[in-house]
Order: sequence, then C-alpha cells, then structure tokens
Amino acid sequence: MTDKILLLPIIIPLLGGLLALLTPKKSGALKEGISLIAVLLNLVVTFSLFKSNLYYALPWVGFGLEFSLRLYHFSAFIISASAFFGFLIMFYSVVFMRGKQFLNQFYAYFLITLAFINGAVLADNLVIMLFFWEGSLAALFGLIAIGGKGAFKTATKAFIILGITDLCMMFGIALTGQLAGTLTISNINLPLNLLGSLAFILLMVGAISKAGSMPFHSWIPDAAVDSPLPFMAFMPAALEKLLGIYLLTRISLDLFKLNPHTWISIMLMTIGSITIILAVMMALIQKDYKKLLSYHAISQVGYMILGIGTALPVGIIGGLFHMVNNALYKSCLFLTGGAVEKEAGSTDLAKLGGLRKNMPITFVCFAVAALAISGVPPFNGFFSKELIYDGALERGWIFYLAAIVGSFLTAASFLKLGHAAFLGKISDENKNVKEAPLAMLLPMIVIALTCIIFGVFNILPIKNFIQPILGEARLGGHNFYGLPTNIFLVVVTLIVLAAALLNHLFGVKRYGSGLKAVDHIHYAPGLSWIYNKAEGRFFDPYEIGLNLVNVISRVGYGIDRGIDWIYDKFTVNLTLALTGGIRKLHTGNFSVYLAWSLLGMFFVILFLLRSI
Amino acid sequence: MYSALILKPFFCVLIMNMFLKGWAKKTALWVALLLSVAQIIFAIFPETYHQSSFIYVISNFFKFDLAADNITRVLLLCIGIVFFVTIILAKQMIKDDDRRFNFINLLLIIVSGLNGVVLVTDIFSLYVFLEIVAVGSFVLIAFNKEMLALEGAFKYIILSSVASIMMLTAIALLLLVSGSTSFSAISASLLYSTYNPLIMIAMITFICGLFIKAGLMPFHGWLPDAYTAAPGPVSVLLAGVVTKTVGVYTLMRIVISVFGLYLPIQKILMFVGASSIIFAALAALGQTDFKRMLSFSSISQVGYIVLGLGCGTTLGIAGALFHLFNHTIFKSLLFVNAATVEAQAGTRDMQKLGGLSAKMPITGFSSVLASLSAAGIPPLAGFWSKLIIVIALWLSGNYIYAIIAVMGSVLTLAYFLSLQRMVFFGKLREDLMNIKEGGLGFMIPTVLLAVITVGAGLAFPYLLNTFILPVSSIFGG
Repeated sequence: MTDKILLLPIIIPLLGGLLALLTPKKSGALKEGISLIAVLLNLVVTFSLFKSNLYYALPWVGFGLEFSLRLYHFSAFIISASAFFGFLIMFYSVVFMRGKQFLNQFYAYFLITLAFINGAVLADNLVIMLFFWEGSLAALFGLIAIGGKGAFKTATKAFIILGITDLCMMFGIALTGQLAGTLTISNINLPLNLLGSLAFILLMVGAISKAGSMPFHSWIPDAAVDSPLPFMAFMPAALEKLLGIYLLTRISLDLFKLNPHTWISIMLMTIGSITIILAVMMALIQKDYKKLLSYHAISQVGYMILGIGTALPVGIIGGLFHMVNNALYKSCLFLTGGAVEKEAGSTDLAKLGGLRKNMPITFVCFAVAALAISGVPPFNGFFSKELIYDGALERGWIFYLAAIVGSFLTAASFLKLGHAAFLGKISDENKNVKEAPLAMLLPMIVIALTCIIFGVFNILPIKNFIQPILGEARLGGHNFYGLPTNIFLVVVTLIVLAAALLNHLFGVKRYGSGLKAVDHIHYAPGLSWIYNKAEGRFFDPYEIGLNLVNVISRVGYGIDRGIDWIYDKFTVNLTLALTGGIRKLHTGNFSVYLAWSLLGMFFVILFLLRSI
Repeated sequence: MYSALILKPFFCVLIMNMFLKGWAKKTALWVALLLSVAQIIFAIFPETYHQSSFIYVISNFFKFDLAADNITRVLLLCIGIVFFVTIILAKQMIKDDDRRFNFINLLLIIVSGLNGVVLVTDIFSLYVFLEIVAVGSFVLIAFNKEMLALEGAFKYIILSSVASIMMLTAIALLLLVSGSTSFSAISASLLYSTYNPLIMIAMITFICGLFIKAGLMPFHGWLPDAYTAAPGPVSVLLAGVVTKTVGVYTLMRIVISVFGLYLPIQKILMFVGASSIIFAALAALGQTDFKRMLSFSSISQVGYIVLGLGCGTTLGIAGALFHLFNHTIFKSLLFVNAATVEAQAGTRDMQKLGGLSAKMPITGFSSVLASLSAAGIPPLAGFWSKLIIVIALWLSGNYIYAIIAVMGSVLTLAYFLSLQRMVFFGKLREDLMNIKEGGLGFMIPTVLLAVITVGAGLAFPYLLNTFILPVSSIFGG
C-alpha cells in the first residue's frame, strides 16, 4: 500500500459529487446510487486506513507550500467518524430527500463537503488546510441555499459570518507561518507569547466559529429553519463540530502548548461557559423542533470548548469525548426531527404531540439521544460531561456552575421537547401518521445504539481513540475510562437532573401542557424582556454587524457625495465663474486691451527694476 | 543663398503685377503653390537647393546679412507647410479671380516677410520684416471688408503699432549702447553692461513688444478678435505661422542670441507663459464661437512655448521649439476644420452645431486628433512636446510651473472635449441634415496636417535624437 492512498478519501467523494452533479435531472436512482457508493467507498477506505500512519507530500507551488497529507491516530479518527456520519446520513437522505428540488446539487454539495473536510483534516500544511476549509465553506453555502425560499439569505449570512472568521484564520495562519518559519503543521511548536497568543486567537476564531460557538453562531438557528434537514444533521451537528474541535485541539496541543497558567485558557473557558448558558437559554423557549435542536448544537460546543480550555488532561479528554458523543446524539436528534417532519408534515411543536404511539421507534431513538444529551447515566453524554465537570471544577467553581446550570436547562428543554412532541394527546390531523421508512430508521437506530455502547463501554472510544491523542506523556499514567471517580460530581449531577424533572412536572401542572412547561422561566420578570430582544435578533452579532456596516456605508456614501460635489458642482461652478469673469473682462474695446498691455509692461518693468 | 527665400516671393509679386497681370490672375495660385513646395523641400533638404545665377546676383546686390541654423529650418518648414495649406484653402474658398489674385499677392508679401524675420541677423532688419508682415496681415484680416473683420484688423493695427513703437524705442536704446544693430554686436556689448537700467528697460520694452505680437496674456487683446474675424485661410496663416514667427520665434531669438538668459527675464517669461496657459484656457472654456475658442487655445499653447523657453535649459528650449512646430500643425489643422465647418454649415456658433461627425467624418476625426494632440495625449506629437517642457521645468526646479503646465493640459482637454461634444459628437441636428463633407480644397490640408501630427508623434524617438535635441544645442543652452 503506497502513501498515495491518502488521496482516496478526498478524491472518492469529490468524484462522486461531480458525477452526481452531472447526472440527468430525472434519474433519481442513479444519483442516489452514485452517492451511496461514494460514501460507502469512503467509509471502507477510511476504516481500512484506521491504524495506519501515513505521510504523503507533493511539491507544489513553492514558498514552503507543499501539498502534504498526514494520517495518524487523530486525523484517522476524525475522518473515520466523518465517514461514519456521512454514510448514515446519506442513507437517510436518500429517502428523506426524494421528491425535493435541487437533488443534483444536494448530493454534489454533500459529497464535496465530505471530500473537503477529509482534506482539511488530513492536510499537514496550514495553507492546504485553509484551501480545503474554504472549499467546504463554499459547499456549505450551496447546501443551505438550495433549501428554498429565504434560504439564500440565510446562506449568505452563514457565508459572511464564516467568511469573516476564516479571514481571521487566514491572518492567523500567516502569522503562525511567520513565527514558526514553516507552514508544515507537524513541525510547528510555538510558545504563547504576545504574538503567539495573537496567532492562537486568530486561529481559534476560525476553529470555534466552524464548531458553531458563540458569538459566531447566529446562522445556525436560521439554517435549521431554511436548509434541508439532513444538512443540519450532517454539518452543524456532526461534521463541523468534528472539524472545528479537531482544529482547536490541534492548535491547543500541537501548534501551541496551552497550559492552565495562560490567560488564553481562561478565555477559552469563558467563551465555553457563556456559550453553554446563553445558547441553552435560547433553546429552552423554542417552539420549533429543529430550531430547539439547533440551539443545543451551539450550547454543546460550549462544553467542548470549556473542556479543552481547562488545559487539563481530564478536561481535554472530556471535551474530545463530548465532541464524539455530541455528534452522535445530536445527529440522531436531528434525524428524528426529520422523521417527524416527513411523516407529520411539520416541526412546529404546537401542532405535534402524542406521536409516541404512531412512531414508536423514532420515539425510542429520540429518548435515548435526549437522555444522552441531558447527561443521564449510563448514556455516553453522562460520562463526557462528568469528565468536563471534573476539569472545570479544578479550574474554578464558576465554570463548573455554568456547566451544571447548562445541564439543568438542557434536561429541562428536552423534557419539554419530548413531552410536546411525543407524549400528551395526539391532534386530529396527526391521527394517521405512520412510522418513518426503514431506510430512515436504520441510521437513527445505529446511532442510538452507538450512544448506549459509548456510554456503557466507554473504555472503547476513550482508550482506543481519545487517549492516544493526548499521548502517554500528558496522561501521566492516568486512565479516564470506566465509571466516574469523583462521587461528589455524580451526586450533584443526579440532583440537578432530578431538579429538572421536578421543574418540568411543576411547569406541566401549572400550565397544563408539555409545550408550556418552561413558561415560568420564559416569562420570569426581567428574563422575558431579554428573551423578547433575543428573539428579535437584537443580540445577533450578524445583525449588529449589518447595522454597523449600514452606518459605515451611509457615512461613506456621504463622503462620496461630498467628493462628487467637489467634482460635479464645485469645480464646474468655479470654472464657470472664472470663465465668466474672464469673458466679462473682454469687452471688445481696444482701448481696454491697450491698457492691459501697457499695464503689463509697467509691471514687468517694475519687477525688473526691483530685481536688479 | 537664403536671400532667395525672401526675394523670390517678393519678385514674384513685382513681376506678376507689373508685366503679366492678365496672365497672372489665373496662374498666380500655381506659382505660389510652387514656391511653397520649394520652401518645404528646401527646409527639409537644404543641400538640394540650387542657387540660380540671377537670384545670386540680386542677393549680392542687396547685401543682406543672413544666417540660418537648424531652428531656422524648423521655422521655414512651418512657414512652408502653412503657406501651402493656405493657398489650397484660398483656392477652395475664394472663387473670384481678382480677389484671389490680391490674396495671393498679399500672401506672398507676408511669406517673404516671415522668411526675412526668420533669417535676419540684425535687429533693425528684423524690425523692418516684422512691419512687412504686420501690414500684410492687417489687410488680410480685413480682406472681406466685413464689419467684424475691420474691427479686428483695427485692433490689430493699434496694438501692433504700439508694439512697433516699443521695439523701435528699444532698438534706439540698444543702438545707443552698442553702436551697432547686429545681434552679435549687441550681445557682445551687453555682456559689459547688463545691469544698466537703461538697457534693462530697452530689453523689456522690446520683449513686451514681442509679447503683444505673440499675443500672450495680458498683451493679447487684439488676438481673439483678429483670429475670429479673419477669413478662413487668413486665420490659418495667422494662427499657424504669423504670430508664431513674429512673436514667439523672435522672442526666442532675441532672448537667447541677443539678450542672453538672465534670471529676471526668465522669471518674467515663465510667469507670463503660465498665466497665459491658465487664463486663456479658462477663457476658452467659456467660448461658444468655434474660432474664438481656438484663438484662446492658441494663446494658451503659446504660453507653453514661452514657459519652456523661460525654463532656460537646453531641454526646455528643445521642448519649446518642438511645441512650436506641433502647435503650428495642430492649430492650423483646427482652423482648417473650423473653416470647413463654417463653409459647410454656414455658422461658427457651436450651439447651433452638433453631430457633424456623422456627415463630415474626415473633419470630425482629424479635429479629434488635433484636439488630443493639443491636450497632450500620447502618442500624438503634442504629448511629447508638452512632456519635454514639463520634464524640463521639473528638472530645473520650477515645480509649481510644472504643475501648472500639467493642470493646463487638463483644462485644454476640457475645452477641446466640450468643443468636440458641441460640434462633432452626439446627434445630428435636424437643420443640418443636408450637410456634406468639405470639398477637396478642405480635405487635402486636413489630411496632410493630420498625418503630420500623428507621424511626428509616432516618429518622436527618431525626431528627438536627430532633430529636436541638436536644434536646441545651437543655442548653447
């Protein structure tokens, strides 16, 4: 096996995507076949490469830009996970997307995204990584834009937000390359001094915005409404988290040596905590299945960033494990949302309810994923959150508090979601809703099972995939799999979960419906005003940015008009005035002309005599 | 042998009027044309000129003290070309045999005078030839005996005679100082007494007289009226060579060869040149009469020549000379265009014209070429001469004047574009629907001058080394 095989995870999906783009519009089966074969081949290749260590380099344009790819345990893990999700979600999409518009483009962008993400993960050169990274952004734009009415605006929003953060990353890459003297990732090892910190922050902005952290998140809830659903399960829920957190881990562990004594660590933990709290607060009050999930997709990133930001082995392991778990249960949740949308025709929680009997398998999968995300033992989310709590508590009780409050609100919002969608009384129009087709159920079941397996047998992922990323030296002989060691944390977690349940019961009793179970929080004094503003996008950095740009452009317009006035009015009028004056002087009277000449001579003589 | 250039036209006039009047009425035009071609050939290839024994005897009899250098050749060439163009225009525009005969006679006298101005080496002969040219010009301006033409001629007479008085005074003073009127003698005697106020006043009186003749601001009062009112061929002659030779060339010759380039004189020249550039360009911008705009443009362009001269460096003088040549060509071309338009459309008022390019493509296109050359757009000839002048100003440290020269180019472009827009571009006016391109008599000069403008621009690298720089080195910089 030669090193060239490393090109396959990029070429296979890319080729599949281009083929899918070129297939005739009518031949649905052909597109589906091509796409499924591409993701399957990708899965096979990445899994078969799993244990290898490969390096492949092609000389490229020069200036230290080498087309180099590196496969080792971390990148192998990420591309395998991507392939896993890619395969399952593609499987699901084949059924889900039937009869929708722009199928050629959907499959093409889906596969091209996969190819570019594989490329970005494998790249061992910062510029090559940037190339693939930006390529995936272009495909992301396409994936959102084909969603239908209003999607184009959302796509533009996503593109602008990510474009700006990627610009930061580009500067970060330039600065890193300048500081390190090389662009080859595996050779870079920089201290976090002043310029180093700047480079770190610039790169971090790119990474966490890809993962969907605040304050670069605001396109995700919009996309949840506008874009095709498999996109949500595929990108914001799974692959973007993998890619963003992968880069964050790489810069924290390899490119720079992040340690608990740096202010960068504090900053990361702060960003993480704020993201957890604010996003989950927003999730709590959502009345739409997909939109609620999208805010959780943001909130959960906070845990990962908090975990990695602790710069402690336990936190980093927790963060990475949480990344995997989140990708699992979040994509599962989105898939159940898709099933509900497809069968019941709506994701508006007010129109749903009581679907438990009509869609039992979907409900079970939802329940597993919801328990996992809420951090209920023995599902996978419980174990990763415990590790993160452990790290956070060691760094400061405030971060732990944020994490635990986030947990409480997460649990509360999922109780509300589950209650509103699956329990309670079924509405008349939903009486005949059937279970989703098998092709859509299978991916959900597989992922839900994985949630359970990764929870009960957490030794499997942690020992095989995650601990090697940190390396023996950092771990210092510790193992982080198995049951949580800190009993205090477990007890607190259980109390919080119980409190969430009690809160839900209280809400249901008070307002009489699952949907309104958290209204006492929503309409709490003080909070309701903030919520109103937030719903009105008052806090959306994108909107603020747009307004700012608006102001700037108006000022610019004013300046431009001013300059225009100078050219159009001022100069012309001045010239006309001068011209008019000169014309008036030419009276046609020869004695006047004679007088000018003599005056002129007089002044010339005067000048000459003075200068002698 | 140079005296032939002066004597031939003069004797032609004499012979034609005294002995062959009946015959000459028909053929005078062709005789003049022959003379103009001979002058062009002589100016380009002086060595091919064969002295006929008759002329030789006559010239010995008159004992002119003449000299010619390369700058003289440039001027002779300019005079030859414009002479040629004027004759062809006259053939087209003056139909009556008697009138045309008169016109040719006057033209020959003027050319004779111009050649004299260019060739003489003493200051009093210079004055005599200036007066010959001036008198011829008065009559030509008023040739059509229209009211405006008479007025223009009158203003020219008045101001020109004032200039003559100034120059005569100066000549008297200089004769007093040096005891001779030849350039070299005056120049030599001035070396010893430069800062004598009397001499200074003599110098400056002479120069101011030349300013009036050249029509620089603020000595220009007569010029727009005279140019505008004169008949088409006369305008070409006046704008093309008469003021250039009588005013500008003489100024160059006197300042460089006789007075020498003193700093105060340089400053005066540059100031007058710059003010001419700007104010005349502004004045041109407001004109609605085709020829009047060209007249002000003429003042502005002469400003460039004087500015280059005032700069005083070899490069500056070279640029001034080259611009003089270019200006002769493109301004003659524009006046030919104006004559064509006036003849075909019956008016010079630009507000009553419009869209003529559609019906008069050659006139329209050539006028665009001439305008762009005047505005200094590469690769036309005017660009190179202006460039040399600006570079010379910059190198000699006159940054402000260099900037004024460049700004003047912008103004030049502005008024010429507005001219083009009003006359040639846009939609053809309905009352001009039946307009036609001018006849052959208009087209030959138009095409000839346009070709020279473009050719001189394209051949600039060749001209620079073989023609322009050597010319200026004669003055010793």
